[in-house]
Amino acid sequence: MEFAYLAAGLGAGISMIGAGIGIGMIGASAMEGSARQPEAAGDIRTSMIISAGLIEGATFFALAICIVLAFK
Amino acid sequence: MSADVRRTLLSMLIVSVCTLTAEAAGPEVNPKRIDILGKLSDHHYLDFKPLAKVELPRILRFDGRWEFYPSTTAALNREDGWTDAYYLANPDDLVFKKDGITLAPVTYELVRADGNGPDFDASITSHLVWFLLSGVLVFVVFGRLASKYDRRSAEGLLPRGAFMNLFETLVVFIRDEVALANIGPDKYLRYTPYLLTVFFMILFMNLFGLAPWGVSSTSDVMITAVLALTTFAITQIAGTRDYWMHVLAMPGVPKFMLVILTPVEILGLFTKPFALTIRLFANMAAGKMLVLSIIGMIFMFAEIFGDTVGLVSAAVWIPFTVFIYAIKIFASFLQAYVFAMFSALFIGLAAADHSHDHEHS
Repeated sequence: MEFAYLAAGLGAGISMIGAGIGIGMIGASAMEGSARQPEAAGDIRTSMIISAGLIEGATFFALAICIVLAFK
Repeated sequence: MSADVRRTLLSMLIVSVCTLTAEAAGPEVNPKRIDILGKLSDHHYLDFKPLAKVELPRILRFDGRWEFYPSTTAALNREDGWTDAYYLANPDDLVFKKDGITLAPVTYELVRADGNGPDFDASITSHLVWFLLSGVLVFVVFGRLASKYDRRSAEGLLPRGAFMNLFETLVVFIRDEVALANIGPDKYLRYTPYLLTVFFMILFMNLFGLAPWGVSSTSDVMITAVLALTTFAITQIAGTRDYWMHVLAMPGVPKFMLVILTPVEILGLFTKPFALTIRLFANMAAGKMLVLSIIGMIFMFAEIFGDTVGLVSAAVWIPFTVFIYAIKIFASFLQAYVFAMFSALFIGLAAADHSHDHEHS
């Protein structure tokens, strides 16, 4: 079915929007935080990467569904 | 079997490129097409185009018997049985013969005359070669580094020179910012060697992909799965009684909630290495795909608007590729760091003996 490809493409795009917004918000807050407290920049960076990684992980699951749709 | 899994997983994540390569599988091989899927996948040879093509040994198990051949050609030209077959749509177009002897089929996929493949294919492939090379490099670099430190510290001298200072920066960074920060001061020294090994192996593998003729083995899902499995094993071994209690029966939670919570926690054990695997693999494979896609734009323009436009458009796409390469250098370090970081985090969570003064609610 061609619609499966369409759905996979749309799904990948939409999950990327979600991940982009999420990681963007983390980045913005981390920037803000380390600008206010430069001495905490190291800790903030570590937790930023952890949170970004967790969002990334969730996005991968969404992408896996898209891949299954496209390949089924 | 492992080759099957590898092929499936790889082709799954490269779905966007598949339409491109499906077009390429016409009866005549169009030199303007780039086989992105083929460039990303694992091979039974090392390609030093245009200088040489080194075939790698084949180790196969067929009918309960192990067979060893120094190269694919040696396996093909054996007396009985081994013929080649191409797994993609067109078996014929990419296999070429000369004087009745089969030479270098592109996939090097070996099947018997009846069409059956080997039960088990443990051949040394290009990704494995680069993986092992990175292991050897880590061994050599750190062996040398350690002996240098021993010698200099015996004389009471400080580290000197680019080699020592470069690696000292990275080693201290991993020890302090990754191991100490995530595992805690009591146990971090025990796991620092593993974190250093995994960081530098991934880093070297990623950087190999940027070298001429190099392949980054981390863009192979099997390699990253093995690395994640190592982290998984170490995490479970590091796990304290406390950790297992939290996984199997979270303390301070109503009994009926455990029906939901325990399966989720057990699932969580396996999603962690899965996410590690996919993160590294997807990032590295995507980087490779991006470079090939941008280079492919030249050929696309040449196809649509004619060769001259294609040639001129290269002035745009080549600097773009260089830019992507610069990002890939950054991503090589970042992904190695992220992998080591998450490994440290998981190990730290498992190894922590936290007292039960905090509330579980």
